Amino acid sequence: MLFNSHLFIFLFLPVVLAGYFALGRSSNLAPVIWLALASLAFYAIGNWQYVVLLLASIAFNYSVGYFLIARKLRPRTRFAVLTAGVAGDLAVLGIFKYAGFLAANFNAVFSTDFVVHILLPVGISFYTFTQIAFLVDAYRGQVARYALPHYALFVTYFPHLIAGPILHHRDMIPQFERAETKRPDPHLILCGLIIFAIGLFKKTCLADAIQPLVGPAFGPGSPTFDQAWIGALAYTFQLYFDFSGYSDMAIGISLMFGIFLPLNFNSPYKATSIVDFWRRWHMTLSQFLRDYLYIPLGGNRRGPVWRYVNLVITMLLGGLWHGAAWTFVAWGALHGAYLCINHAWNRFGPEVAPRLRPVVTFAGAVLTFLAVVVAWVFFRADDIDSAVYVLARMADPTRLALGRAEIFNLAFIAFYAALAWIAPNTQAIMGYDHARRAVGDSLREARLRPWFLYATSAVLALGILGIQQHSEFIYFRF
Amino acid sequence: MRFVSKNLPRFLCASASILLLAAALNFVVDPLQLFRPSKLFAAMYSADTRMQDAGLIRSQDFDTAFMGTSLAIHFRQRDIDRILGGRSLKLSMTGSSSREQSFVLEAAMARRPKRVVWQLDDWIFRDTPEIDSDVYLPSGLYRRTAAGLAGYLFSGQMARESLWILARSLPPLQPAVARLTSDLVFKFPLSDVDDINSLPPDYDVAGSYNAGKALAAYRYITDPARSRYLADDYNYEAMVRAFERDAIGLIANNPDVVFDIYFPPYSILQFVAMRDFSPRALKAVYDFTDYAFPRLLQFPNVRLYDFRAVQEVTHDLGNYGDVIHHSPTIDLKVLSWLAEGKYRVEPSAPVASLERLKAQVEAYRLEQ
Repeated sequence: MLFNSHLFIFLFLPVVLAGYFALGRSSNLAPVIWLALASLAFYAIGNWQYVVLLLASIAFNYSVGYFLIARKLRPRTRFAVLTAGVAGDLAVLGIFKYAGFLAANFNAVFSTDFVVHILLPVGISFYTFTQIAFLVDAYRGQVARYALPHYALFVTYFPHLIAGPILHHRDMIPQFERAETKRPDPHLILCGLIIFAIGLFKKTCLADAIQPLVGPAFGPGSPTFDQAWIGALAYTFQLYFDFSGYSDMAIGISLMFGIFLPLNFNSPYKATSIVDFWRRWHMTLSQFLRDYLYIPLGGNRRGPVWRYVNLVITMLLGGLWHGAAWTFVAWGALHGAYLCINHAWNRFGPEVAPRLRPVVTFAGAVLTFLAVVVAWVFFRADDIDSAVYVLARMADPTRLALGRAEIFNLAFIAFYAALAWIAPNTQAIMGYDHARRAVGDSLREARLRPWFLYATSAVLALGILGIQQHSEFIYFRF
Repeated sequence: MRFVSKNLPRFLCASASILLLAAALNFVVDPLQLFRPSKLFAAMYSADTRMQDAGLIRSQDFDTAFMGTSLAIHFRQRDIDRILGGRSLKLSMTGSSSREQSFVLEAAMARRPKRVVWQLDDWIFRDTPEIDSDVYLPSGLYRRTAAGLAGYLFSGQMARESLWILARSLPPLQPAVARLTSDLVFKFPLSDVDDINSLPPDYDVAGSYNAGKALAAYRYITDPARSRYLADDYNYEAMVRAFERDAIGLIANNPDVVFDIYFPPYSILQFVAMRDFSPRALKAVYDFTDYAFPRLLQFPNVRLYDFRAVQEVTHDLGNYGDVIHHSPTIDLKVLSWLAEGKYRVEPSAPVASLERLKAQVEAYRLEQ
């Protein structure tokens, strides 16, 4: 089911909210079970064939976690259990996500003809990573024993199940356990609705509206310099508004249930360096990769050379996590290289005089944005050849169309750029503070101006009016 | 807290009011003319024919439905009426499949036309999703389902169009709004139904249709990197399956309607490209004709025309914008051939034109 569908907004969400709070009057556990069941129903609509896989994954990881948390095992046995658990998770992910990719590459190298047709279960990358983190923390002794309904809800929780944010058990399960979350809080519901409205608007009115500009550059045609740039820039903004819109909606929906989700975006295109970009883009993935890949690999503890090697490995695997294709590997490799250059510059680059800092910061922001746009070309293209072709067009200003349509499209993109660079982000508008579990403090007081309420209600209405049929989120594919 | 409690219903009521206002605006202005022909407001039209046809079928008077793909998209209804007689409604849809064409024609049958002029390409008969899964064609608008109509009424894009049409209907604003109406911004920029996908009078026909363009397109599609696409949509079994379901099904269900079916005059380059780079696709074309022509001629309400072997047109590359799309001059020729009954396929020799085409394709040599 899609958040940007009438079925979800007018039927599923109100029914699940009503059931959750109704059950919350008499029990602290029943709403958790209700929400887990609702989440499974949410997943089953459109993906029913993978519900069993999801349930099996939960059962497997919960069992492995039980051994790690509750049983007193010798260190070597504990490590073996962890290895088996993580290997099992990665094996399932490998079969469903990478088997076709491996077969295609095997065929290319050995001229064989293996055919693998396995459809990618929606959300598998997200729920697998979530649970690997749980197992690793259980092994480290950082996890208390959780009840099965709470654990199942942590994995299946429908606001995040399909496309994140990647949740952490230590953040989520205590919230599921709190009795206060089962009592309706009009303030949280209103703030959740407003955040949902902003996310819906980003998706249906911004991301979907710019999407038609992307295809011509990445299609079978022969784009000119300006058309190639229009396509690459349009995709840059489409992806941002699509994914950050989804994340806002997830945060907003969850807030209605009294649950605070972590932030996933913080105006990434305002970043002044690549390091800064990765602190602002898909933040929960960055944190996961840092805590469960980069640091276990050694991080920067073994000297600067290993730091760069670990960075590149982390970004390559991060790229591959997005999809089984060489384009994602190239995207990850590019960002790995960017990060290495950024860290090397920080270490070896000249000291900038204070009076030049604004200029250098501005130049850094421009350079970062351009580097990110170039990498997105690989992310979007069907294959490496297509990406190189589009980039070659972007580097060839001798072929220029600049007709009426191109000028209009550039103006359209400038509007999006202004929004991404100048406008405050959702958490700034709403005062959302995940760490403090606070939101909309100014709304809570009577100082709320009517114009804000009516403007945001218009944003919700426009978001609903913008709903188109069959408009999936880009990150559903990952 | 009480203040906050009041804000929630206020917020929801305000959103609901805006939604209802937009729906009311769309219902009253009705840009698609789905509920009534435009009288109070300026009638405006969209080039997105998969959507626009749903409204045209309801709002226009016609006794002849004109259907096809991009090969039949530039025809002017006035020309069709003048040359073929009657009152036509052009429903052609760029890149449409036989399933889409058949579905739209079926909807048009509710208005009881006497005649259908149907331009057929063999590649439209292909495996395609069910019509309700077709993301490009709003089937609910044709069937007038609750979901389809709700999607139309509660559409922000349609509300924007409605507002613009409303502004255009106010005399003081009309000239300025008309000047600002652009197909880049608005979905309904056309004020004359005859202009839907027709080429404007000042269109550079010579610049768009010439041998250079046709040869460039030939080189493009036969480039080793792309020549494999020539075989796309040419699967004989799928073609026959779709043909029986979509074409024969519609013809058999409407025995009182005359179907003038024609296969358009592609440039010879299209078949030469297949001959040299995708013989399998060419064989599928030949086999399909072998099957489809006798089958169509079984129906007394079918008049079948094959223009693919009209050498004086198909060998003159100056008539083409690429390897298949012909110029507006040929549009008019097609209409006059239909009016004269020229190049009609006779039941006594259903594949004679195919044999001529085969001979031409075999003999043609492209000058390098």
